Amino acid sequence: MKLTEAGELRVRGYLFVLHRSLATFMPKEMAQESIREVESHILERLERIEGAVDEKAAVEGVLQHLGPPMKVAQAFAAEITFEEAVATGRPLPVFRALFLVATSLQGFFAALGLLVGYALGVGFIIVAALKPIFPQNVGLILRDGVPTAFGAVSSVGPGTEVVGGYGLIPLSLFAGVGALLLTHRLARAFVAWWRGRLKGPTDE
Amino acid sequence: MTLENWQEQLRRGGLEFAVLLTLTGPPRYGFEIIRHLEESTDLVVNEGTVYPLLTRLARQGLLTTEWVADLGPHPRKYYRLTLEGRERLNSMMRHWTTFAGKLDALATQARGELR
Repeated sequence: MKLTEAGELRVRGYLFVLHRSLATFMPKEMAQESIREVESHILERLERIEGAVDEKAAVEGVLQHLGPPMKVAQAFAAEITFEEAVATGRPLPVFRALFLVATSLQGFFAALGLLVGYALGVGFIIVAALKPIFPQNVGLILRDGVPTAFGAVSSVGPGTEVVGGYGLIPLSLFAGVGALLLTHRLARAFVAWWRGRLKGPTDE
Repeated sequence: MTLENWQEQLRRGGLEFAVLLTLTGPPRYGFEIIRHLEESTDLVVNEGTVYPLLTRLARQGLLTTEWVADLGPHPRKYYRLTLEGRERLNSMMRHWTTFAGKLDALATQARGELR
């Protein structure tokens, strides 16, 4: 079946939306190659339609068999980004998966919580690293005898006191590494659960 | 879990195995793989889920890919099992034979008791 301009436009529109969706999480070359393959599939299907048929219905039928472009993009995300994150557990793929998850409301709050966990871990490790360099400025910060923060202050003014000796270094390191490991474990579990959702039934 | 969800999970688990089985012979392109699966199984509900799976299997080194321009009216991306893919498939087939055999035996026994 040879497509008219209207039919071609419809196919190009589908591929455009799919490409835009894929480009949000895939390397450029990979997204282009996936689009090329899906386009090849569409043309292959259309070529096998013989006789006088309604072009619009035929094109819509082929696209419907493929699924909505957003769903196809989700399937790519589930197979590639999420699969890599779950299988390897490497921080970069996990962060990439969390970034994708954060585009939905539920995912945003989950990703935000995990981000706080990671930040907490990094914060503790920074405190441990800064303590030997600025021993008087790093520790538990008291204002008028009331603990207000744990970390570093640039200058210790009147009414402010920094307490905690070098014993804070192993404690902070332990807390930091612990927070990072726990958060990362939670992140992997969450990404695995999310992947299961994406790979779920896709019939409309 | 509804019956539909259970069927979907079975399909999901079986699709990867079926795709690898489809590629034991000569290289095939995506549409050819889908047609083969559609003719012999009920695994393909949405064609759009097969290409992401093929992409992942290729990234995992189980398949090699090659664009061929002169075997059809437009270029096609052919997939072929790698040595690693063959080894994986052999393992999957061994597991499947044991798994299906045990379930079959259980189902046969249950069928008798259900009557």
